Amino acid sequence: MIDMARRTELKNALIKQELSGGGWSYGSSVRQAALEPTCLSLLALRWDSSPTRVRSVKFLLALQNPNGSWPAFSGDDSEGSGLTALAVIALINNGEMALQTERGVEWLVRTNGRESHWLWRWKFETTDTHVRFDPKKFGWPWQPGTCSWVIPTAFSMIALKQAFVCCKPDRVNLRIRRGEEMLLDRACPGGGWNAGNGVVYGVPLTPHLDATATALLALGGEQSNGAIASGLDWLERRAKTCAAPWSLAWSILALDAYGRPVEGLLARLCTLSDKGLLANSATLAAMILAIDCLVQGNVFKVIA
Amino acid sequence: MTRRSLLAGSIGLAAGAATAAPFLLPKYDRVRRPARSGVAIVRADEYSERLEGALMSALRLFDLKMSGKSVLLKPNIVDFVPGLGINTHPLLVAAAAECFRRLGARSVIVAEGPGYQRDTQLVLFESGFQDELAKQHIPFVDLNRDELVKIKLCANYTGLGHLFLPRTVLSHDFVVSMPKVKTHHWSGVTLSMKNMFGVVPGTKYGWPKNILHWSGIQQSILDVCATVPIHFVIADGIVAMEGNGPLAGTSRPLHSIVLSDDPVAADGTCARLMGFKPERIPHISEAAKFLGNASTKLIDQLAGQVTAPDIPFKVVPEFEHLRAS
Repeated sequence: MIDMARRTELKNALIKQELSGGGWSYGSSVRQAALEPTCLSLLALRWDSSPTRVRSVKFLLALQNPNGSWPAFSGDDSEGSGLTALAVIALINNGEMALQTERGVEWLVRTNGRESHWLWRWKFETTDTHVRFDPKKFGWPWQPGTCSWVIPTAFSMIALKQAFVCCKPDRVNLRIRRGEEMLLDRACPGGGWNAGNGVVYGVPLTPHLDATATALLALGGEQSNGAIASGLDWLERRAKTCAAPWSLAWSILALDAYGRPVEGLLARLCTLSDKGLLANSATLAAMILAIDCLVQGNVFKVIA
Repeated sequence: MTRRSLLAGSIGLAAGAATAAPFLLPKYDRVRRPARSGVAIVRADEYSERLEGALMSALRLFDLKMSGKSVLLKPNIVDFVPGLGINTHPLLVAAAAECFRRLGARSVIVAEGPGYQRDTQLVLFESGFQDELAKQHIPFVDLNRDELVKIKLCANYTGLGHLFLPRTVLSHDFVVSMPKVKTHHWSGVTLSMKNMFGVVPGTKYGWPKNILHWSGIQQSILDVCATVPIHFVIADGIVAMEGNGPLAGTSRPLHSIVLSDDPVAADGTCARLMGFKPERIPHISEAAKFLGNASTKLIDQLAGQVTAPDIPFKVVPEFEHLRAS
């Protein structure tokens, strides 16, 4: 049973936190709009007809960099953020398949992790081998000029899959395949994903809930394999003891996308509240998206 | 000597000087190293409510003028793995907050931007910070998601030129770096200076803050610490970490809290306590040129003694040369 009163309470709190010029910051004490809370909030309000949504879509479109990417926050430099994909996802799901969304997609297609360059690939294959990864399998970086990491790669794959539901051009297909290979390569040995270092100096590192959930969402629709299955199992186990709303919300979104039961987790998510939580717009929006996945559909569910 | 050869020689000399100058000039804007630095080492065998008394006695050895100051405590909070002491202990941070309040600080907050775990609330909750901070009414600021200001760097070891930094850090009067004493597989050690990577915001630079790795970790430490002054250090060496730190090492009791009014002196002292030679750690030896004092001749030992362990801390093979023996 979905707690609709709780959903309304969260939604009202989110609308209240919109900045006067549009967009959202992470916290109520911060007045600087940031890309992640703005995009997640727009996704959470995508069926809403309020002026809040319209104003913030305009704000997001106006925030785009000349090269097609989006900055990480209002006032950022213009080289582009690793969460540009979230802007593309937010615009697509708000019915904005305009030229600007296409320019964002183009930026994603031509942006890749620095290890994709032959010189760095050679370095990671020969001398710098302490982190176990295959540099031929690359995705997207947090910032241009740095390595690929799990979260920007996962969101970029979701954005490309949503932008090209059918008839993907070869270069898009290739980027999605490379991203998929990279995610599978970076999985933690015991299941799940962290930022992107599964094994360092021969020691397996611990997975994280939100990174695991995002990676699984990006791999949605792909042929099931060991990494996906063990990631799902780990996520299902770990989510049962998670008391942090951000990670729990992402876990619900991923488990739901794979048809695993989430009712118990949703009931617990609805009981989580504290003043600190309600101050974080990105977390609020993620909670609404998680609750909505059984009501209005899972916005991050993709097909291959 | 003809006029032609003199002219050619002069041009050659000028060209040589112009080429060499960038390599000879210092990479920092000014020397801010104090004439002398103070260090106190407090013996502590466990994390308990009793830490506050020991910490207060040690803080009184320094001539700190805290009246009316806003204090920012910057612990090392990276991730939570059950049974492994990765983070600065919350009881030590709470004790420090209470001490600075008693010393007259106008406000005390705890601030951190975890460099690896994106869910700050999860790591605060699981590491025990959330409960401890709530119990002591200490505000927490997530530096990964704060308002950001573009700042010109006060040193140029990385060539980055500027960084976006959290307004909260820049607006506080007194920054206390509170590292967990650990070995680090990329930088040798992670102490009070490396701990300042936590002020570099994930919103802009990601998880991890990979630009700092690509720009050189040792170089990035110097640029960040030249730009964001550390006013005091309280290093958690009660239970330290050796081996494959900062996330996958082994706990090693050191029974020490290291306090200092100089981050370079603090880190040099911690390195000695770990059985390392600080002059072999690039960011400490370079910082000793302009940020603080690493030499024992320039450090006043206010309490405790620096005793190297019989067996130095274990390190990954690349850093074997740090070990004193």
